[in-house]
Amino acid sequence: MKLYSLSIHFKGATKANLLKAAYDLSSFSFFQRSSVQEFMTFTSALIVERTSQGSRASVKEQEYLCHVYVRNDNLSAVVIADTEYPQRVCFTLLDKVLEEFSRQVDSIDWPSGNPETTNYKALDIHLSKYQNPREADAMTKVQAELDETKIILHNTMESLLERGEKLDDLVAKSEHLGNQSKAFYKTARKQNSCCEIM
Amino acid sequence: MAESEEEVDVLVQRVVKDITNAFKRNPNIDEIGVIPCPEARCNRSPIVLVENKLGVESWCVKFLLPYVHNKLLLYRQRKHWLDREALVDITCTLLLLNPDFTTAWNVRKELLQCGVLNPEKDLYLGQLALTKFPKSPETWIHRRWVLQQILDQFLAVSHNKTQEQQGEAEQPNADSSRQLSDHLTRTLHQEMRVCSDAACRYPSNYNAWSHRIWVLQHMAKGNGKVFHDELSSTRLWVSMHVSDHSGFHYRQFLLKELITEHYQTSASATINGSSQHWSSTLPSSGPHQHSCSQTNGELSGAEAANEDDRQLSFTTVLQLFQQEIELCSDLIQSFPGHETLWSHRRHVFYLLNQWRREHQCSSRGDNNSIHLNDCDPGMSEVSPQSYAGREESVNGQNHASEPMELDRVSLPNPHDSKRLKRGVLLPGTPTLTSEHSFVNSILDSCCNPEQRRFAVAYKKWLDTVTGLQS
Repeated sequence: MKLYSLSIHFKGATKANLLKAAYDLSSFSFFQRSSVQEFMTFTSALIVERTSQGSRASVKEQEYLCHVYVRNDNLSAVVIADTEYPQRVCFTLLDKVLEEFSRQVDSIDWPSGNPETTNYKALDIHLSKYQNPREADAMTKVQAELDETKIILHNTMESLLERGEKLDDLVAKSEHLGNQSKAFYKTARKQNSCCEIM
Repeated sequence: MAESEEEVDVLVQRVVKDITNAFKRNPNIDEIGVIPCPEARCNRSPIVLVENKLGVESWCVKFLLPYVHNKLLLYRQRKHWLDREALVDITCTLLLLNPDFTTAWNVRKELLQCGVLNPEKDLYLGQLALTKFPKSPETWIHRRWVLQQILDQFLAVSHNKTQEQQGEAEQPNADSSRQLSDHLTRTLHQEMRVCSDAACRYPSNYNAWSHRIWVLQHMAKGNGKVFHDELSSTRLWVSMHVSDHSGFHYRQFLLKELITEHYQTSASATINGSSQHWSSTLPSSGPHQHSCSQTNGELSGAEAANEDDRQLSFTTVLQLFQQEIELCSDLIQSFPGHETLWSHRRHVFYLLNQWRREHQCSSRGDNNSIHLNDCDPGMSEVSPQSYAGREESVNGQNHASEPMELDRVSLPNPHDSKRLKRGVLLPGTPTLTSEHSFVNSILDSCCNPEQRRFAVAYKKWLDTVTGLQS
């Protein structure tokens, strides 16, 4: 039952702008961590870009579940978890983080900010605390009040894409991925093992 | 990048050497991995050592692996000689890249047998391989072979010691046998850690958990304390891995073993004081002031104490089951929709009932059989067992614990009363009734469709179980 990454973005007109991110990569093998981190950033940004304003969604990709909330003011958060981690707690976390962030960071800074300049320090702590969903969320035992029918479920990343769009192209163009990660993605693809770097 | 054969040869020799040297430089390496790196960078070694992690750049693997693989096969076919040191280095490299290459492990078995290799080395190598290949069947298999070697050595040594002692009227060499048994204990705990790490790296890692079971079966036979400890130490782990079927299966194994221990203890309790061993492994569920320091052969007054031991262990096992069902309920409620948890519940409940029935049958043959569907913990008229000294509240009245001695005196047939008592359930013990009410409470409150499905299936299963057991 794990959370791997928690990130805050601003959904711009054409692309998502990463404002802050926290990662827990301890369960990945040491030499894969930097690539994994890049792919998680890439994935989170892509999901924000493809999710409509004012909606929540969960995207399944291999053994990961990415949960996203894009607010009406375009402030967005994504958490990447495994399939055991309760979905309801994820959305509670996203709500909480966005609320706190919007109080601490002025909205004027959202469209153009970046992780280095953004002054919000609590993301790591939230990620760490929520690793144990029951400690973090005393309400877990109470069944969901969250209207789960309103959460869109995507069974693959592909279903987020436009017709004709290919994930490979997006990977190649992405500014979130270093050359090594891109090259590795290519080889993994060729061997038909998809993103098994994760 | 076309490499000539000589170039490959040179490259590979260098890489094998770099790996060997890395281990020499850093004896604390605890993880291996492949570094995604499509091209070599100007003559630098592909072996990278960072913070106790040993990495091999991916570009060289396609040269390295076939080459060393081939070399070892040629050696095996007696077409190419390799001295012992070279064998050690080559098999090490090979196994870090592909630990399912049985031949390499077998070469190491030979090296072990002629004393060139220390068994600990192979345990270490296996541990490293498992950081990258946590399921690797051959690694686990070889590990068991090595552990068996260690166990055999241990037995041989202690056997020799006993013989020595019998031969000469010397004081027993307590120190060195203590050392040996400490060594074994350390090895046991290390194995638990290795299994746990591997279980974390791959979900439902059947091979890792099976190995863990094997280790307990071979290195902790009859040691109730270890089983108890394992039950407590895996509790948090399974709570954080609620769909790991193998993890829960391990707990089912532990419970089964504890039942078996209970039987053996009961059976042999009157024969010798082996109950002493069992009672010393009880978990701290309350103050057990118990005169259980019986040594072998003392039977006077031991009858009563052994009777108590049997009662005690009965109660203990019952408590374990109760705790397990409670854990299960807790997880089912907190994390709806995981089939593993429901499956675990079935196993535990079934085990519990089987054991209770067998226990009742063995202690007294006849009537007053507590039917599962009759049993309502709230309506028990007989005072509950309270060896823990705590006061059970039944139907709002407090029943203080009654010492055995009084019962024996007050009732005409003391043995009957004891048997009766043994058949009674502790309040809170899972019964068919309580299980039904649990399922109903889930069905009433849940909105997760999967959870609903599992709950309904469990309800149906309960009815089947009643059918079988009535």
